[in-house]
Amino acid sequence: MADHTSQSRGTKGISISELAVTFQSEESEPVEALRPTSLEFEAGEFIALVGPSGCGKSTLLNVLAGFIKPSAGQALVGGETITKPDIDHGMVFQDYALFPWLNVIDNVAFGLERQGMGVEDRHAKAREYLDMVGLKDFADKRVTELSGGMKQRVAIARVFATDPSIILMDEPFGALDALTRRFLQHQLLEIWQRNRKTVVFVTHSVQEAVYLASRVIVMTARPGRVKLDQKIDLPHPRDFSGEEFRRLEKLIYDQLDEELAKSFKLEGGGGTFHD
Amino acid sequence: MKTSVKTAASVLPYLWAAIFIVFVWQMAVIFTQAHVALLPPPLLAAKTFAELVVNGQLFVHAGASLGRVVSAWLLSAAIAIPLGLAMGRWRRFEHLVDPVIELFRPISPLAWIPLAILWFGIGETGKIFIIFIATFFPILLNTVSGVKGVDPVLIRAGQVLGCDNDRALFRKVILPAAMPTIIVGLRISFGTGWAAIIAAELVAAQVGLGYLIADGMEVLRSDLVLVGMVAIGILGVLIDAVFRTVNDRFSWGT
Repeated sequence: MADHTSQSRGTKGISISELAVTFQSEESEPVEALRPTSLEFEAGEFIALVGPSGCGKSTLLNVLAGFIKPSAGQALVGGETITKPDIDHGMVFQDYALFPWLNVIDNVAFGLERQGMGVEDRHAKAREYLDMVGLKDFADKRVTELSGGMKQRVAIARVFATDPSIILMDEPFGALDALTRRFLQHQLLEIWQRNRKTVVFVTHSVQEAVYLASRVIVMTARPGRVKLDQKIDLPHPRDFSGEEFRRLEKLIYDQLDEELAKSFKLEGGGGTFHD
Repeated sequence: MKTSVKTAASVLPYLWAAIFIVFVWQMAVIFTQAHVALLPPPLLAAKTFAELVVNGQLFVHAGASLGRVVSAWLLSAAIAIPLGLAMGRWRRFEHLVDPVIELFRPISPLAWIPLAILWFGIGETGKIFIIFIATFFPILLNTVSGVKGVDPVLIRAGQVLGCDNDRALFRKVILPAAMPTIIVGLRISFGTGWAAIIAAELVAAQVGLGYLIADGMEVLRSDLVLVGMVAIGILGVLIDAVFRTVNDRFSWGT
C-alpha cells in the first residue's frame, strides 16, 4: 500500500447500498438519521450533498469516513467495505482540525510521515502542495498565526498530499467570509480538475453546490433520504448569473423548500436554514 | 540585549519584595528587642548564609532535598502520566480507578509520614515515598483532564491521516494535544513535592533543608532556621521560573 512515488494512486468510486443509520441512546427514543439509501458515485465525480439541518448528510459523510458504523447496509470504496478511518479516505473538516503543536509544513506532512516517508521527502512534497494552495512562504509559521481561510488551505494541502482515493469535505468553507469562500472554491476546483479525485462535499449553500459539483444530491428532512439526484454538466468556470446556472439553482431550491417546510412543521418552527 | 532587559524587568519585582521583607524583618528586630537566638537581625542571617555557602553546607542540604524531590517526582510522572492517559481515554477504566483515587486524594501527604517512618525507617525510601504521594495526584489529574480536553476533531483528523492504532494516536495526537495541561500538572506537583519534602525532613533526616531548619531549632540557632527558609524560598522561585520557560515552549496557544 505504501507507494511513495509522486505518481498518483488514482481515485475510486463509492458504492452505497441500502445504507441506514439509527442512533441508539439509553435515555431517549432511537433516532433514525438515515433511511436506507443507495447511491453510486463514480470515480472522479465531484458530489455535493445538500439538505436541511439534521438531514443526515453529515451522518452519511461520517459513515464514509469510517467514524460511524451503519445500522444496516454498507458503503464500499473501490469495492471494499468501509469499516474504519483510513488514510486512503481523506477528510477536510469545517473547523480545519489542524494540529496546533505543529507548524504549517509539519501539518501538511503529517499523513506523509504516517505513510512512512522520510523527513526530507515529506517536507519536499508538503512544500509542493503548500505551493499549490499558495502558501509556500508560510511553511514555517505556527498554525495559530494563520487566518481561517489560510488554515483551510493548509488542511486542503494536507489531504491532497497523502493522495487518497476519495476526499470527504464537511462544510469546509462554512465558517469563512464570502470573499474568502469564493477564492477557496475556485482554488479547490483548480486542484480537483488537475487530479480528479472523487470528492464528496457537504454544504448548506446551493450556490456553492451548483458552482463546484458535477452532481448535486438533495437529501430530505430527517430521516434522511435522497430527494433529488441532479447532474450538473456546465463547463468550468461556471457563471453564477448564467441562465442554466440559475435554473439549476432554482430547481434545487424548490426541492429544498419543500423539505424545509416539512422540517419546520416537525420541529414546530424550530429548524433553521443557513445559506 | 532585549532578552537581558526583559529578564531584568521580571526580576525587579522580586528584588523589591526582598528589600521589603528585609526591611520589615529589621524593624521587627529593632522594635521587639528579640533575643538573637529567637530572631537574629538580617545581617547576621546573611553572614550565616554566606558562611554556609562558602563551606558548602548549604549546597549539600539543598542538593539532598532537591535530589529527593526530583527522583520521587520523576517516578511519580512515570506512573501518573501513562495512568492518566489511559483514564482520560477509556471511560470504563476511569470509572474503575477513579473511586480509589478519590479516596486517597484528600489524605495529605504529611499524614503518611508516620507510616513512612514505620515502614521504611528514616532512610531515603520513606522520603521518596512521601514525595511520590505528594506529586502523584496533581500530575494524574492534570493528565486526565488534558486528555479529556483534546478536541475530538483532532482525534478524527489523526485517524484519517493514518493513525490507525491507539499507540500511534496517543503518540502523534493525544499526547502532544494534552501536553500543555500535563506540563501544568508537572509544575504544580513539583511545588507540592517541594513543600512536602521540607516537612518530611523536619521529622526524620540527617541532611536536607528541612533538617537544617529542625537542627537550627534544636540548638537554638534561629539564624540557621532562617537561612534554611530563605534557601527554600529562593529555590522554589527558581524552579518555578524554569518550569515557566518550559511551559512557554509547549503552550502553542489556543
